[in-house]
Amino acid sequence: MPGMKQTGKRIYDWFEQRLQVEDPIKDAVLHKVPRNTASWWYVFGSAAFTLLMLQIVTGILLALVYVPSAAEAWNSLNILNHQVPLGWFLRAVHGWGSNFMVAVVFIHMAQVFLFGAYKFPRELTWTVGVFLLLMTLGMAFTGQVLRFDQDAYWGLGIGVFILSRVPWMGGGLVHLLLGGPTIAGATLSRFFALHVFVIPGTLLFLALVHVWMVIKLGINEWPMPGRLVRKSTYIAEYNQLTHEDGIPFVPGAFWKDLIFSAAVLAAVGVCAAVFGPSGPGGQPDPSITQTVPKPDFPFLWIYAVLSYLPPSMETPFILIAPIVMIAGLLAVPFVASEGEKSWHRRPVAVLALATIAVGWGVFTHLAMSTPWSPHMSAWSADTLPVEYLREATPLVRQGAVIFQAKQCRNCHSIGGHGGERGPALDAVATRMTPDQMRYKVVTGGGNMPAYGKNLSPAEIEALVSFLETLHPKGEPPAFDASQQAAQSNAVPAGGSNTP
Amino acid sequence: MRAGAIALALPLVFALAGCGRLPGSKAEADSPARPEDVLDFHTLYNTNCQACHGADGHNGPAMELGNPEYQALVDDATLRKWISGGMPGTEMPAFAQSAGGMLTDAQITAIIAGMRKEWSKPNVFAGAAPPPYAQDQTGDVQRGQQTYQARCASCHEKPSRQQVTSPAYLTLVGDQALRTIIIAGRSDIGQPDWAHDNPKGAPGASLSAQDVTDIVTYLGSLRSPAAVSAAPLPISPRRRP
Repeated sequence: MPGMKQTGKRIYDWFEQRLQVEDPIKDAVLHKVPRNTASWWYVFGSAAFTLLMLQIVTGILLALVYVPSAAEAWNSLNILNHQVPLGWFLRAVHGWGSNFMVAVVFIHMAQVFLFGAYKFPRELTWTVGVFLLLMTLGMAFTGQVLRFDQDAYWGLGIGVFILSRVPWMGGGLVHLLLGGPTIAGATLSRFFALHVFVIPGTLLFLALVHVWMVIKLGINEWPMPGRLVRKSTYIAEYNQLTHEDGIPFVPGAFWKDLIFSAAVLAAVGVCAAVFGPSGPGGQPDPSITQTVPKPDFPFLWIYAVLSYLPPSMETPFILIAPIVMIAGLLAVPFVASEGEKSWHRRPVAVLALATIAVGWGVFTHLAMSTPWSPHMSAWSADTLPVEYLREATPLVRQGAVIFQAKQCRNCHSIGGHGGERGPALDAVATRMTPDQMRYKVVTGGGNMPAYGKNLSPAEIEALVSFLETLHPKGEPPAFDASQQAAQSNAVPAGGSNTP
Repeated sequence: MRAGAIALALPLVFALAGCGRLPGSKAEADSPARPEDVLDFHTLYNTNCQACHGADGHNGPAMELGNPEYQALVDDATLRKWISGGMPGTEMPAFAQSAGGMLTDAQITAIIAGMRKEWSKPNVFAGAAPPPYAQDQTGDVQRGQQTYQARCASCHEKPSRQQVTSPAYLTLVGDQALRTIIIAGRSDIGQPDWAHDNPKGAPGASLSAQDVTDIVTYLGSLRSPAAVSAAPLPISPRRRP
């Protein structure tokens, strides 16, 4: 045994004499950090790095089977899902790893912003971080394209449409990205190169620069209200802090990073095992029109925003907004490189972050339910609640058939099923008189198209007689008071005047 | 401690290696097929038919396909004709790709076979011979009116039911659809077939084939698109810019 130990030491020494990495590693590992930064709030950066490692490992394994060609990609994903042992799990880990990585990177960024950690002397760390965020999103997008199914196909289509609106060089950029004017053979090769070489290479390099700066400049101290950052004094103050009340990074702060990273990896594993891989969905064939493609979650908010923009605003928004957003992020440490770090004294920062978070959440939620989009199969797939037709007369039933067959259901829900573009019609009879319904159906108005030329008078009568029955029990339908008064005057006393 | 860790880890490894046990693992059948390759009856029916014909063939606003009497009355060729090309005079659209729809011939075959399998019952007429399915003869309006008054009016002329003679209704329902529903009835909403024309479906004297033809001819004579289109377009309920 002692012999083996001696041999091991000799080999180590042989390498160390030549590599000389012991001292720098010791420096990095044992450098002092302020005691109160060994907090659970400071674990997101290391978790993001851990996830990057996970993505690299699982990505290499996937690349052993995946075929980056438009003809073969979809099949090779299905082979991974069904034929390669644990291939589905590998795909699931890579997919969930991506979701977690995007989420953790955003949380890390929000935490850094809230803690003022981007201020002097860490401006460049933030700037590199912004590019890391863009690279992470670039990985998410190119990864979505490599999962070559209907979502990927149409998502890429929208991506290049956005790119094509760049003045003068839009067409050239699209050609460059797709390897031709359309999504075809060369497209997936290009995205494979981007996803596997270009972006991860840059990402890894920038991540190492990022970590280097974190080690060299020290971990941000816990922000205290009233402790202002001044360029002239900060370095001395920070050194004093770590000197007087510092602990070595390892193990003082590092154990929390380890535990959190392990927890994140476990969460990825559990999500992968329980929810499985994402897709591939339907075949990426543009001749299949029965599809409702949606982007992956990091891009859902863009999908919703673009859907809500009036067409005239699209191009200005597409061209200007990304530049404003990225420039805004890059400007943060230079606009506010000094001053308060504590969120207690930075109301604008807190409100800005809250607004962005709420806005992101709202648009993401909207993108999941897509209330602006008709449900194109509702007319033939969504049944009417049985109780709505229980007492129906033949004409009312026929009206219900018209309602379905003329695809009213695609925009108007009944019984909670159907489109949300127009109002739900479960209680329409309490809001509108039959005459108002007739008028609306014939002439349209607002979002509603005019159906006067597409429906025969009999169809309109049947449809309105069905809509007239749509009111909750015990809540009477709307009636025209003036018409009722006129009728009650015309009918002799004792005559019925119920509408 | 170590034994405990192995005891914990082993089932996990086996579960993973056994692939197919974990909820996330994908079965081959979960892969989405091309829309035209879907041949499962329930998927096809639920996406193309049930909105009008009702979940499981019952309680929809249109014809009750789940009624075994309907299934016994209509032959495969006729079903294929209506599904493929639509039914003239009704809202039934054409579903065949050859007629502008989305379904292949194989899918229509699968739908017909599925309906037969799910909803057909042997000897559903209990030996009685129903009137023939097709309304291919013109009956006598006078006789039809008399038969209608004698056999149908007691229910259909009640205030809440009378619209069966309304011109708007008759404009939207072709003779064949009227005939089919008189013969097969609608079991889901308690409407009797041709042999049980008493209220609540109690056995009565069956309608003869001639009776059915005459009633349909009479109802057809009341069909008057002109009467419906004469209804004035309502004036704007609100002033509009």
